[in-house]
Amino acid sequence: MHGRIKVRTTEEEKARKEKERQEKLKVFKHAMQKILYKRKQGEQDDEQLEITGKVLSSNPDIYTLWNIRREILILFSKTKNEEEMSKIYDTELNLTEYCLKINPKSYCSWHQREWVLTSRPNPDWKKELELCNTYLKYDERNFHTWDYRRFVVSQFKPPLQEEFDFTTEKLYDNFSNYSAWHYRSKMLVELYPDVKGGRPIQDNHHKHELKMVQSAAFTDPDDTSAWFYQRWLLGAVKVTIQLVSYTVTPLKTTLAWSRKVSNNYINSNVNIYFNNQLVEGKWIPCTGLEYDDLWIFEHNQEVSDNMDIKVEHGVGDEKQIINSEKYQPCTYVGKNKIFFKNQYSQPVIEELNEQLDSCRQLLALEPDNKWTLLTTTFFLYCIDANLYHKEIMVNLETLKDLDSQRAGYYSDLISKWSIEQQLPQDYNSNSLEYKISFSQKITSLPHLNYYSYCQVVDLSNQALTSRILPTLTKLQHCKVLNLSSNKINTLDGFPDIDLEELHLEDNIELDKMEVEVFKHKHKFMKIYF
Amino acid sequence: MSFKTKDVTLSDDRPKTLLLQKHSDYLAGYGLNKDDYEFCMTEYLRMSGIYWSLTAMELMDQSSRMPKDDIISFISSCQDNESGGISASNGHDPHMLYTLSAVQVLAMYDRLDAIDVEGVVRYVSSLQQEDGSFFGDMWGEVDTRFSFCAVMCLSLLQRLDAIDVNKAVDFVLSCMNFDGGFGSKPGSESHAGLIYCCVGTLSICKRMDALKAAELAWWLCERQLPSGGLNGRPEKLPDLCYSWWVMSSLSMLNRIHWVDKKNLEQYILACQDAETGGFSDRPGDITDPFHTLFGLAGLSLLGNTSIKRVNPTYCMPQETIDRLNLEPQILQI
Repeated sequence: MHGRIKVRTTEEEKARKEKERQEKLKVFKHAMQKILYKRKQGEQDDEQLEITGKVLSSNPDIYTLWNIRREILILFSKTKNEEEMSKIYDTELNLTEYCLKINPKSYCSWHQREWVLTSRPNPDWKKELELCNTYLKYDERNFHTWDYRRFVVSQFKPPLQEEFDFTTEKLYDNFSNYSAWHYRSKMLVELYPDVKGGRPIQDNHHKHELKMVQSAAFTDPDDTSAWFYQRWLLGAVKVTIQLVSYTVTPLKTTLAWSRKVSNNYINSNVNIYFNNQLVEGKWIPCTGLEYDDLWIFEHNQEVSDNMDIKVEHGVGDEKQIINSEKYQPCTYVGKNKIFFKNQYSQPVIEELNEQLDSCRQLLALEPDNKWTLLTTTFFLYCIDANLYHKEIMVNLETLKDLDSQRAGYYSDLISKWSIEQQLPQDYNSNSLEYKISFSQKITSLPHLNYYSYCQVVDLSNQALTSRILPTLTKLQHCKVLNLSSNKINTLDGFPDIDLEELHLEDNIELDKMEVEVFKHKHKFMKIYF
Repeated sequence: MSFKTKDVTLSDDRPKTLLLQKHSDYLAGYGLNKDDYEFCMTEYLRMSGIYWSLTAMELMDQSSRMPKDDIISFISSCQDNESGGISASNGHDPHMLYTLSAVQVLAMYDRLDAIDVEGVVRYVSSLQQEDGSFFGDMWGEVDTRFSFCAVMCLSLLQRLDAIDVNKAVDFVLSCMNFDGGFGSKPGSESHAGLIYCCVGTLSICKRMDALKAAELAWWLCERQLPSGGLNGRPEKLPDLCYSWWVMSSLSMLNRIHWVDKKNLEQYILACQDAETGGFSDRPGDITDPFHTLFGLAGLSLLGNTSIKRVNPTYCMPQETIDRLNLEPQILQI
């Protein structure tokens, strides 16, 4: 029951209302009985249409009654002439229209309308589109109406540009129309894809949309609709699959990816060479799932000291060779050049810089507006995450207070962006150790597969909870793992990895008994608690 | 005109503690009077009503107050021999929605033997279309809700092999939007209820990797309003059932900590009716079994230990899901 306010009434009024309801109920029950009886008897006639129509007029969600009507209409269409049928279909449309007035969110009524229009010859799609326009004037956010509009458009096929313009019109009426932003996003990528550059949207349109969002957002920063659209625009860049690193030891060979890939993808796009000999083997996803960002390569080749190991990755003609280096005897690591920067075109970057300036000005006037600060921060990140890193971190800390309901989100964002900051540096060194060293404590472990090559992983003195435990399965080559001084409260979900040492000291909520049981299960692991 | 966020305020006289006994009494009494107007008018969704009430009772460990034998024989009587599908009630037609509700109820009772399981499998798989989508029944309505019903139903029956799972996943993914969310069909606007259905489908099919997880989770946590309640789309009023649709999705995405749990708990508790028992969509509205389930299930996700653990994918007690050896995917982060 949605949106029905409980009202206090006198006993007398209550009794009167109850009596009224009982009478209504009697009529309803009688009608339903009659309908079901007639159906059983196979009486598919005008009378049945009339009774079901009456009941539906006040209860449009009784789906079976619509089914009964459709059965009758199908039967009629076989015997009645075109003119008669046309009238019957019109009556049916009127009924659905009436029902939609009672309940504009009645799935059944909308579906019946679709059914009628696809069943009858020569439907008047133009009229239907106008009906959508009218309904959207009553309620511009009714998603049923929007869905119906898309259905009509798919049949009527007006030029897409007209629909795009319709969203422009709707948005200039009221920027707070998320449904219109949504519809616009669909058409934007269809109308203006950047086919040549491989980006989702052509530069000039990308720029134009950013401008439009800005005028919406600045009209009222607390209206959230446009902000989601903006976030999407900022992320609408070309994405590629990158082999970020691989590790070969006598025990295990693993490959880490920038995105989750399938067995199929690796099989067709990756070749591994030991001393210039192609190695055959089997691919196992580290998490056991179909798509993974860390794959284990099982092969029968011996891994000895002083080998030449390289991996070739590429789709079609774009092949890349990633050479490895020997980090330790018989331990080879190949690292790619990694980056987390979104690749924008020059005009879009210029636009972002301009908007950053406006945001900063607005922020000076209203320093406590969450949306302005969040947007400023995202602009900074998108324009140059490296250059602005400090400012970004300060802003996110402020946002944790300003928008405390979502403090968990900002904390995770701080973790992610800090890790992205550190990763390229770590990829330039040839150490097998990973140590987190930021001023803020991290709360999550994104990109952990990038550190799959590490043998010593120090995650101590952070704010990690047991939530992150399953992801530690990415540490396939780790021997020493330090999780001391975190917020681990259970070991439930700890993955099956071959550690030599595990540090769990100073996780104050962790139960001693549980650790004992864990120790018992992992006899070859030195566990410190 | 200045913009104003749509929200409600929680007045101080609203309940602040969990009134379990009241809710149990409310659900035990619901439908006892067969001439109750509200009860009769909702006959067309009776099977789901039973699922809402029974699951709520199970979560409160009070299911012994439900008429088990009557429920089981009612369900058996609602199965259509020909198609194998199950209807909302006697005299109504079989439909995917009620087929799922029936299977969920029987799974909780561990009485799947009460129906023709092969019939259900035949019915559900017959509704899959070439593009991977599912009809709700023979009349051709397509909706991602039905995709979720299909995979949930078949997984409870250990018969996911009866459909083309890859195609089912591809269809759901074709409904993904710019904000990372999902709607009811390709092109439809994101809506928290349908996001739950689509994320749930991917969780059961173990394809959570295909989500734009960070974008989606951000959109979901932005559903929380100053009152603590959650809405289902931007610029809409809060509604208790979104405590379930949003929080279950965030649970599957492993990001439940992106909302303010304390705040949300206050909102959920304020939606209780201290007189009649049960929960409503907003504080002060009329209660119903639907919102009562989602209020309790929401509190369970928030870690309330006086309620049994609920599984975020199935919206059923975790112990049932464990008994059936089901392991829906939770995203690792």
